[in-house]
Amino acid sequence: MAVEQHIRNGPSGRAPELLVSGLTPDPVTIQTLTEGGCALLLFVNEECLTSALAMRELGPLCQDWEKAGLSCTAVFEDPLEVAIRVARRQGWTGRVVSQPPPYQTSRAYGLVSVPAAFLIDDGGQLTSSVTGWDQPRITLLIEQAAAITGATLAIPEAREPLRKPGCSSKAALDPAIAAAMEASTNSDEIEEMFERGWTDGLPVVPPTADRVEKMLGRYAGSTSLGEVPPAMGEATLERLAACAVLAGCRPEYFPVVVTAASAALDRRFNLHGQAVTTQPAGQLIVVNGPVRHELGMNSGMGALGPGNRANLTIGRALRLMIELTGGGMPGTLDRSTLGHMGKIGFCIAEAEEASPWEPLHVERGFAAEQSVVTLIGSDAPLSISDHRSRTPEDLAYILAWAAASTWSTNWWPLTDPSVFVICPEHAEMFRAHDWTKRRLRDFMFDAVQKPARDLRRGETTPLVHRSDPGAEVHKWASPDAIILLVAGGEAGRYSAVLGPCTGMGSEIVSAEVEPR
Amino acid sequence: MTEYVSPFDERVRPEQPLAPRSAQISGLRITLLDIRKNRGAEFLDRIETLLQAEGAITTRETKEIFSKPAALDLVDNLTRVSDAVVEALAD
Repeated sequence: MAVEQHIRNGPSGRAPELLVSGLTPDPVTIQTLTEGGCALLLFVNEECLTSALAMRELGPLCQDWEKAGLSCTAVFEDPLEVAIRVARRQGWTGRVVSQPPPYQTSRAYGLVSVPAAFLIDDGGQLTSSVTGWDQPRITLLIEQAAAITGATLAIPEAREPLRKPGCSSKAALDPAIAAAMEASTNSDEIEEMFERGWTDGLPVVPPTADRVEKMLGRYAGSTSLGEVPPAMGEATLERLAACAVLAGCRPEYFPVVVTAASAALDRRFNLHGQAVTTQPAGQLIVVNGPVRHELGMNSGMGALGPGNRANLTIGRALRLMIELTGGGMPGTLDRSTLGHMGKIGFCIAEAEEASPWEPLHVERGFAAEQSVVTLIGSDAPLSISDHRSRTPEDLAYILAWAAASTWSTNWWPLTDPSVFVICPEHAEMFRAHDWTKRRLRDFMFDAVQKPARDLRRGETTPLVHRSDPGAEVHKWASPDAIILLVAGGEAGRYSAVLGPCTGMGSEIVSAEVEPR
Repeated sequence: MTEYVSPFDERVRPEQPLAPRSAQISGLRITLLDIRKNRGAEFLDRIETLLQAEGAITTRETKEIFSKPAALDLVDNLTRVSDAVVEALAD
């Protein structure tokens, strides 16, 4: 009480100790804060715009002040995860600490309103204070600090508003009310996520500020990847991290999610068309390189199905970005007639070790040791059973003809890519006979052709209509429209073809995953 | 109160008002925009005939591809040379 009396009459006396928690378990004491010379404490809370103003004006100067002997500490009347997020958002570069209700530290310093700045000298004595935002008085306080440290300290720029009244300190509230304000009102967080519409229809992990913070790691949440079609919501990394949390990602997956999102927003991918089309178009993410192992991704048994957290949640995070940040939710701006299950999440890792060929990312110009994400607009998988072929020619014929009805029975040729996921046993057949990817592609391309006259029923292409009736038309416009991947369990002869997303002018986009 | 980070872009964008409607068609410069959707041109042919019969001065433009937003220079040109635009969606 003695200290409170001193404060009301002007700052003097010994600075009360801080009952706070910070980023490290080490106690934050007045002695440690002042050992470089003197200490500035800035009491703030999240809801107060004047607190935000003070942090924005003083925050960028803190690092230089610290070097010159003036330590800077923002003392929040908020949970630590909120404090960290708000401080970062406002550009505060000093220390951040948090005090729980009933805000005993704010009470010890006699706070009625925030922001409130206190200068403490090297003897632990309060020497000066400023309440609210008051640039001229803050300047005097910094000049006092400069006199104590003997160093030159930059002063905050004099710009409008020079003065702004503060807000009520939470310590000024009745303790019971303050505690009630901090208490969660959510009886069921999972249901609340549905009420907020933060879901693709499945339960999600609530994106609390601390979970999002952990997901972001070294990434700056304010960084923007661009606008997400169709509603053109801005994909800040903070929002993408929220989507990754909602999807169930672990923080170590986030670099892959960021790379996939960047690739999806590349204009060449034309996500805009894919997001609103009546087609079932999903966004297939193919992951290559060492990151597959680092994240424990599944490229083996059930590679296109359930069971692996990384595969499922990375794909889901991208879809949640499209649905929530981008507004591409089925039934609203996503007009897909049927959709497909890959629109919940569609991410596979290539089984490079089981492949007789160079992996997809090497084909696309990357080094084998690079970790790469490739985005392909894609239809749902169609399984192809072949347990009887005994020559690579027979097997290639079966695989190729399975795709003959993809997109539409008589829509020949396809110009957009068809993705074949070749299982290891099928791949082994091609390895044993030294078939390269090029040879297999060329064979498949040549195998699937029909006379134009046989393709003139129902939906077909202008090329079929203008060709001579006897002219052969291929299923694909070029062998390069056939994409070959290897994945799946070592036993079983089931490969799959994923039909194309057509008419979008959508290119395949690959990008390297930056290390976390 | 638990703090959540929203996945939505919460910015409120100003509503774009509709352009004023003309009371008559005669004398208007109307561009018919073919987005290159299958058979859209046939539909526009018929609309163009009807508009010309009402005294409109018509021109035709096409988008690069139906599934991508129109190029900005195309949009700029449409606003410069047209009193109204008819865009056809067909399949």
